[in-house]
Amino acid sequence: MTAGFREHVRAWCDEHVPRDWRRAQTGVPETEFVRFQKAWFAELNAAGFAVPHWPREWGGGMSVADQIVLYQELAAHDAPRLVLAFVGIHHAAATLLAAGTEEQRLQHLPAILDGEIWVQGFSEPEAGSDLASLRTSARRSGDAYIVNGQKLWASGGAHADWCLLLARTDPDAPKRQGISYFLLDMRSPGIEVRPIRNAMGDSHFCEIFLTDVVIPAANLVGAENTGWQVAQETLGAERGLTMLELSERLAHTGFRRLVAMCPTDDPVVSDRLAQLEIEITGLRGLCRRLVENAHDEGTGARNPADASIVKLFYSELLQRLTDFGVEAGGLDVHTDLAKPMSSGWESGSWLLDFIGSWEWTIPGGASEIQRTIIGERGLGLPREASTP
Amino acid sequence: MTDFTEFHAELRSVAGDLLAKSRDVEWSSLVEAGWVGLEVPEELGGAGATFAEVAVICEEMGRAAGATSYLGSAVLTVGVLKALAPSDIRDNLLTRVASGSIRPAVAMDSHDFIPDAEGADHVLLVTTDGVSVVQAHATRRPVLDETRRLATVVPDGPAETLRFAAGATNPIGLLRDRAAVAVAADSLGIAEAMLTATVEYAKVRRQFGRPIGSFQAVKHACADMLVQVAVARELVGAAVESVVRGRADASASMAKAYVTGMAVDVAGKAVQLHGGIGYTWESGLHVYLKRAALNRSLFGSPAAHRRQLAKRYR
Repeated sequence: MTAGFREHVRAWCDEHVPRDWRRAQTGVPETEFVRFQKAWFAELNAAGFAVPHWPREWGGGMSVADQIVLYQELAAHDAPRLVLAFVGIHHAAATLLAAGTEEQRLQHLPAILDGEIWVQGFSEPEAGSDLASLRTSARRSGDAYIVNGQKLWASGGAHADWCLLLARTDPDAPKRQGISYFLLDMRSPGIEVRPIRNAMGDSHFCEIFLTDVVIPAANLVGAENTGWQVAQETLGAERGLTMLELSERLAHTGFRRLVAMCPTDDPVVSDRLAQLEIEITGLRGLCRRLVENAHDEGTGARNPADASIVKLFYSELLQRLTDFGVEAGGLDVHTDLAKPMSSGWESGSWLLDFIGSWEWTIPGGASEIQRTIIGERGLGLPREASTP
Repeated sequence: MTDFTEFHAELRSVAGDLLAKSRDVEWSSLVEAGWVGLEVPEELGGAGATFAEVAVICEEMGRAAGATSYLGSAVLTVGVLKALAPSDIRDNLLTRVASGSIRPAVAMDSHDFIPDAEGADHVLLVTTDGVSVVQAHATRRPVLDETRRLATVVPDGPAETLRFAAGATNPIGLLRDRAAVAVAADSLGIAEAMLTATVEYAKVRRQFGRPIGSFQAVKHACADMLVQVAVARELVGAAVESVVRGRADASASMAKAYVTGMAVDVAGKAVQLHGGIGYTWESGLHVYLKRAALNRSLFGSPAAHRRQLAKRYR
């Protein structure tokens, strides 16, 4: 860790984290949410804290030890989460850095720092856990592709400038070998975005309908029909540091709020609290290790299922914690229905956070899929007979 | 850091080999292997290592379900002696422990259920004032776990009390943490052994024409075991570091509460997933389940440790 870095981040947080943002961001319209997210991103970026994980030449280059400190302190100071910029700074950047052309990087990486918003267009109505069975088609026509299909669960789709799109370019190939990866300009004609209300009543998930949408061939990432490999390599991009940030938030805002609300003189309640604190402590250790191992490959200590272990344990622990918040909070929590925008999964509204916790146990590989990955890749257990 | 990682891996490998030969390892073999004197300073005939290395041996003891006197006569004994103010008596005891010429045991909060007291040359009685080195009559407390020996001790009379090192804050608390973390490391080894055995079995055991490990019900149960073991490993790692640094923090209670409970669950699931064969005497899985259950009760139950943690919420 850089000497004095923690003190530097603390001082910065004291000065820059908006004091009253939770109250100010409660019940605001979408336009205010977008404005606030972009302003907070710009402020982090000005300090060099927005994309610390990017390579130095693109504006990052922070050491892993410093990044850990940064996320610990942002969580400890209850800073707003970067919700809108998330896909851009993690998935889009990782994809471009791993498989993009120099032109694609030059076009988008600086733009992301200027506030370009990205959405992920992977899932479809018939391709959820079985993502490789996706059916959206991209047909080559001259120096462009014509795209038709439907994408689902595109988080933040209503505000996105660009979309990471998986589409089928070879309908006859085995399903993983006929997919290509595209950068789709969301201003293109033929795109219709419809919000879907989720279980909480929010509408940040969207359906994206694509009708004869033209994507220039220059926006293909990697070679044609290698989209599945590109996606596999970059899907895990958010796992390490994102999970570290979320685990720190679970410890700080999440657990601290829970203790503050609970009757701690009740031995049954305090026993449950202690169990949760232990699990959060274990999770934080796992996340630190995941981040450190990801940057220290070659030790042989890394298990291919580590990211799945962390995702599974975090999401189910989040669910247990918020569930207990609902149980311990009595009837009052059922009237506490105001959730600040930008607050993530520990808003303090226990019931909404609990309902919202399924947003972690289902997307990004549902818990059942994670257990299969852990069993097969982590432990080497045989695949099911029917799995191709 | 890398040096330690390599050193620990080597220690682990050597320990694994020795313990794989036989579950019952004689005291003299433990001395010869250098494990008893790991934490004893080099000038007193030890290796000058730390509790981090001792914890590696504890974990291997759990993995092998080793029936040795290591916990009482090395881990606790050396820890207690090193907590004392320097004196000729103390140095003499440490030297003799490292050389294997004496094998003491430690009684901390009670005189009952003392690990490895039977046949011990001395009992170190830990009190708030310090430590008394006494001769004691030990009566075995028969337990179902065949890999541990516990006894009730009756001291043979008063003895001089050796003081704790000056300036030490809460030396007894640190000794309790040491005991809890040593047992947690042992339970981690138990769980790792049970997970490995279960996964190996699930790969080869066939029913309905396919390996049982290909069934989701079995596969997902194994995945949950791996997750629990991974969490446990982090908690043990943090707790070991606190013991090494002499930090009295919450990590020991966290590790003891989670890991010793987890090991019972994992060993129980291992028996279940082995099916009928898992319940036989011959399979040996019961040895681990019983040891895990005893570990959970030793040096404070998970509930007792969570109660300690919860005091911080008031």
